[in-house]
Formats: sequence, C-alpha cells, structure tokens
Amino acid sequence: MASIRLQTVSKAYGSDLYGVKDVDLTIEDGEFICFLGPSGCGKSTTLRMIAGLEDVTDGAIWIGDKDMTRAAPRDRNVAVVFQSYALYPHMSVRQNMEFGLKMRGVSLAQRNDRIDTVSEILGLGPYLDRKPAALSGGQRQRVALGRAMVREPDVFLMDEPLSNLDAKLRAEMRLELIKLHRRLGRTTIFVTHDQVEAMTMGDRICIMRDGHLVQVGKPLEVYANPVDTFVAQFLASPAMNLLDARLEKGLQDEEVVATALGHFPLSADQVSAYDAARGRKLLLGLRPEDIHEADAPGRVAFKAEIVAVEALGTENIVVFNVAGQEFTARLGRHFIPAIGSTVPLYGDPRQMHLFDAETTRAYPRPSSGPVSNKED
Amino acid sequence: MRRIVSHIGLIFFSAVVLLPILWVLRTSLVPEHLSYSSQILPELTLDNYVALFTTKHFGNNYLNSILVAVGSVIVAMPLACTTGYAFARFRTSGRAGRFSVLATQMLPPVALALPTFMFYRTVGLTNSLPGLMLVYAALNLPFLTWILMGFFESVPSDLEGAAMTDGATAWGAFWRIVLPVAAPGIAAAAVLGFILSWNEFLFALILGGPRTATVPVALASLQTSNGVEIAKVSAGVSLAILPLMIASRFIQRYLVQGLSFGSVK
Ligand SMILES: Nc1ncnc2c1ncn2[C@@H]1O[C@H](COP(=O)(O)OP(=O)(O)OP(=O)(O)O)[C@@H](O)[C@H]1O
Ligand SMILES: [Mg+2]
Repeated sequence: MASIRLQTVSKAYGSDLYGVKDVDLTIEDGEFICFLGPSGCGKSTTLRMIAGLEDVTDGAIWIGDKDMTRAAPRDRNVAVVFQSYALYPHMSVRQNMEFGLKMRGVSLAQRNDRIDTVSEILGLGPYLDRKPAALSGGQRQRVALGRAMVREPDVFLMDEPLSNLDAKLRAEMRLELIKLHRRLGRTTIFVTHDQVEAMTMGDRICIMRDGHLVQVGKPLEVYANPVDTFVAQFLASPAMNLLDARLEKGLQDEEVVATALGHFPLSADQVSAYDAARGRKLLLGLRPEDIHEADAPGRVAFKAEIVAVEALGTENIVVFNVAGQEFTARLGRHFIPAIGSTVPLYGDPRQMHLFDAETTRAYPRPSSGPVSNKED
Repeated sequence: MRRIVSHIGLIFFSAVVLLPILWVLRTSLVPEHLSYSSQILPELTLDNYVALFTTKHFGNNYLNSILVAVGSVIVAMPLACTTGYAFARFRTSGRAGRFSVLATQMLPPVALALPTFMFYRTVGLTNSLPGLMLVYAALNLPFLTWILMGFFESVPSDLEGAAMTDGATAWGAFWRIVLPVAAPGIAAAAVLGFILSWNEFLFALILGGPRTATVPVALASLQTSNGVEIAKVSAGVSLAILPLMIASRFIQRYLVQGLSFGSVK
C-alpha cells in the first residue's frame, strides 16, 4: 500500500529539452488515477520515472513514506504494464508471469495459485504454454497485464494497457481492471489516450501537455471546469466548440456574450463570476451535447446549415455551419437533418464556458455549475 | 524466362566459387603423381590424408587449431558481450567512443605482430597455446564487440525495464533476459570468432613454434624448397575447410531467427 508524491519532477534530454517539466502531484494510497494527454506529452516518461526506469533530472519521487528518487526499480515494488508490452520472448506465458514471483521468492504453490487466478480473469488459460511470438496483439497485451497483476505490487503503472484490444474486449477489460482495483485497492496510474477510459475509470484524471501537468481533478469536475481551452477540447470527443466572443450590453441593457451564434444571456451569478472578463477578447466554449434540436426557455436559437451527419445509432453527431465557421452538435438519434438543409438549433447558455482568447485560460464558472462528485 | 536467366547467372557464380574447392578435394583424393593430370578422378585413394597424419604431425596441428580457436572464443566472448552491451545501452563515450572500438582493426596486422612478439618473448608466452589463445581473443575482441553491440541494440530496452521492476538487478536483467534473448546473435558471433581464429596465419607463424603450429602454419610449411607438396596441401585444405562448412551452417541458422520476435507489439 502506498501513496505517490511527485515534487517538481523534471526530466531533461539535453540542456534545454524537457520531456517532463516541474510536475507536482500527490496520488493517494489506493487511488486510481488516469494520465491523459496527446502523444509526446510525457506520460510514459513520468511513469518510467516513478518506476525508476528513467533518471529524474530534478525533483523528488516519494512512494509511501520513502524518498525513492534514486532507488532501484526492484526496491519500489511497482509493476509496470509497458506500452510496448515488453514480454520476455524466450519464455512461455506462464514463465513470463512467474518470473517476477520467482525473483521475489514467492513459493511454488502460491505462484501457481496466483497465475491460475489471473489467467482465469484474463482468459489466458489456453495460452499458458505458448511463447509470446505465437500470440495475437490483444493476447500479448493481456499477458502484459497478467504479468503485472500476479505480482500484487504496491503500485500499478499501466501505460496504455488496453490500446490494442478490440472494442468489446476493451470494455470488458475496463470493467475487470476496475473490479481488480476495488478488490486489491492498489494505487494505480493508468495512462491513456482514450477520454472514455479516463472519464470512467479514474478517481481522478491528470491532464498533461508538453511535459506539464495542466489539470488534475475528479473526472466530472474537470469536465465541468476545464482550466483552459486545451483541456476543454481534449477531454471530450467530439471536442468543445470554441467561438470568438465578447461581453456586451444587450437590447435591454442586460449582460450578454456576443458571438457568431447570437447573444448568450448571462444569469445573475454568471454576471458576477465573469466580471474580470469584461472588455477582454474571449472564447465561448459550448460542448456539442449542450446544443439541442429542441427549444426550451432560455436557450439561444441560431440557423444552422448542416454540413455532415454521423449517425451513431445512439445519437447523431451533426456538423453545421454558421457564419462561415463549423460547429459540432450531439443530437438525439431521431433527429437526422438533411445535409445542406438549414435548421434551427438551440444552445444552452447556462452550460457555456468562457476563456480568455489570449491566455486560453478559463474564467471560473459560477459555482452552481453542474458538478457532481463521484465520492463525496 | 527471367528465372532461368537468373538461375544461369547463379549457377555460373556458384561454379566460380565452388570449382576450385572441388578441385582441391579431387586432388586430395587422387595419388600424388596424378595431382596435376587433367583427368577428373583417375584413381581414388586416402594415401594423401594418411601421409599428412603420419609423416607431418597434422593431427597435432589440427588439435592446436581447435584448442586455440575454441579457447580464444571462450576468453573473448564474455568480454565482448559485456563491452558490447555497455556500448549498446549506456551512451557513455558517444559516437567517437563506439567507433574507437574498431580503431585497432584499422592497423595492418603486421604492425601489431612485431610489438606483440617482443612483448611475448619478454614474458615468455611465445611458442605456447595459451599465448596464441590470448592474442586471438585480443585481436577478435573489437570485431566481436562491434557485432554484439548491434545485436544488443536490437533487444528492446523495455525488456530490461520489465525485468528490473519484476525484481531483477541490472546484472540479473542482463543475465536472465538480455543474454537469452540475444542468444542467436551471441552464437553467431562466437562462430565468427572461431572462424577468424581458425584462419589466422600471421600471428600463429610469428608467435608460435613447431609445437604450437596451427593448421594454416602447417599448410604453409608444406611449400618446401623442394616445391609444393600439392597432394598433401589439398588434403590439409580439405580438412581445414570442414569446420568452416559446419560453422557457416550454424551462422545461417542463428542469423535467420529474429532476436526479439513476439516481445513487443
Ligand atoms: N531519449 C530521448 N531524447 C530526447 N527526447 C526524448 C527522449 N525520449 C523521449 N523524448 C521526448 O519526451 C517527450 C515525452 O515522451 P513520452 O514517451 O513520455 O510521451 P507519451 O506522452 O508517453 O506519448 P505517447 O502517448 O505517444 O506514448 C516526447 O516529446 C519525446 O519526444
Ligand atoms: Mg507513451
């Protein structure tokens, strides 16, 4: 059992080239945290530094109550699921899983016991005596997971462990991993590209960009209050719509956000929350799910020229054009507008986000925003 | 049609390479007075081989060669493995450092042979098999290191990462994971080292004596002032080629196997 504390951890490649820069993060004992970020943002590097596989240029890494910054990987009791799998090619699946147990002096009976349990969960039974070369990509990935699971370490470090599975297996494994985490309660860092994984699996998500930690928080909190346009756009697919905006006075002298989609009225608490935005060039953010095909009190109407429709069965992703700019909406599955037609759509001003156009930072939303916390 | 043309080409080049060897084999198997005749196989006899072993101590020479070649491989391989691995994984000395591994190979062997002889005479290692083993190990070390460096670089470093988080030390990861994974490459390098030592002539001649003469030295000594004893030379060459043929089969087999297949995506 162990918490993890990163104190201004940096990794430099050369004098001015950073893979990871000044990352400060505390991960509670037993927490499941997801690292999310675009390719090359330093997720793997951070993970490898925690595992002790990469030297830390600056800062300190604590695991439990020990400073592990310079400790050897084997003294940290962490298990890594590598992005590249890194299965031992000269060993069978069983030997791959057994290796770590042998190295730590686990008895034969216990080894067999754990391997049986884990291969049951992962469906590896039929492959135990095969070499990795004789497995498919998905099977190899499961072996990599199994090798970490049998170890029952203090900390799991998983680098995109589900990236190579098909959709069904992936959903199953997601559940299995969550169950495993509930059962063992081990601190887990889970690196992913996939917003769905990040949103659904983690107690918290940790969004990285260019080696920096951009935002850490509970998934719904981050979703509701992205700190900047990068997080706002990255954390969801399809991404949040951004449009140029400015705070103005409306016809009745009320406060509105003027945009290409029309005037978004501000409620009283929004007016006070966005006081600092007055006079600045702004970006208004509106998630595709906050644009609707039906009107309701308070919604802002605009004429949308339909550009494309992706019918997903459960919903329709509609790309439309207003005043030369393209936007995306997530609409009901029965609403399938013809391409090229012009239909009225309705934005929900209570769900809007405001960002500074220059700094891309968000103006904090009024606290009544739709935050619902997972645990407390 | 194209296949036929390319096959004809291949047959031609194979013949260019093979015919002299086959002719040597033929000469070793016909009586000495027919060595230079143009008949292909006038009479078959093993007399040349028998003479080689009875009148010329070729058995000793052969044994010397095997001992020296195998011994030099045994001495060189552990050093080449560790050095090659260090160069492959730890970027300690940069490109210049890696390249300097091969620097000694650039000197003409003679330039090394004479100083080695002086040194060996001082320490009393001339005319001894261990002396030859050592010098071959030293001569082959850079080349073997270079080859192994390439093999170790092709072993994904995440494998060591996995081993070390699994509880192995850096040495344990090398010993239990990297070496077995690189085994085909290591075997190929060992065979290459054997061949290099087996064929070496200059140092064997300069540093050795009658007692330590290896196969190449023995073959050279058959070119006496009375002329070349071509029948015995042919028999000796045929025997000298034998291990090389076996060795090259091995190398082929090891080299076609991928090193780390299946460990990664
Ligand atoms: N040896 C190296 N020398 C220089 N730069 C490096 C080196 N290794 C990694 N980097 C850089 O460090 C950054 C972080 O790499 P890292 O592998 O952590 O990214 P990542 O977030 O895991 O990406 P991905 O999602 O593609 O796996 C990248 O920009 C990469 O180019
Ligand atoms: Mg990565």
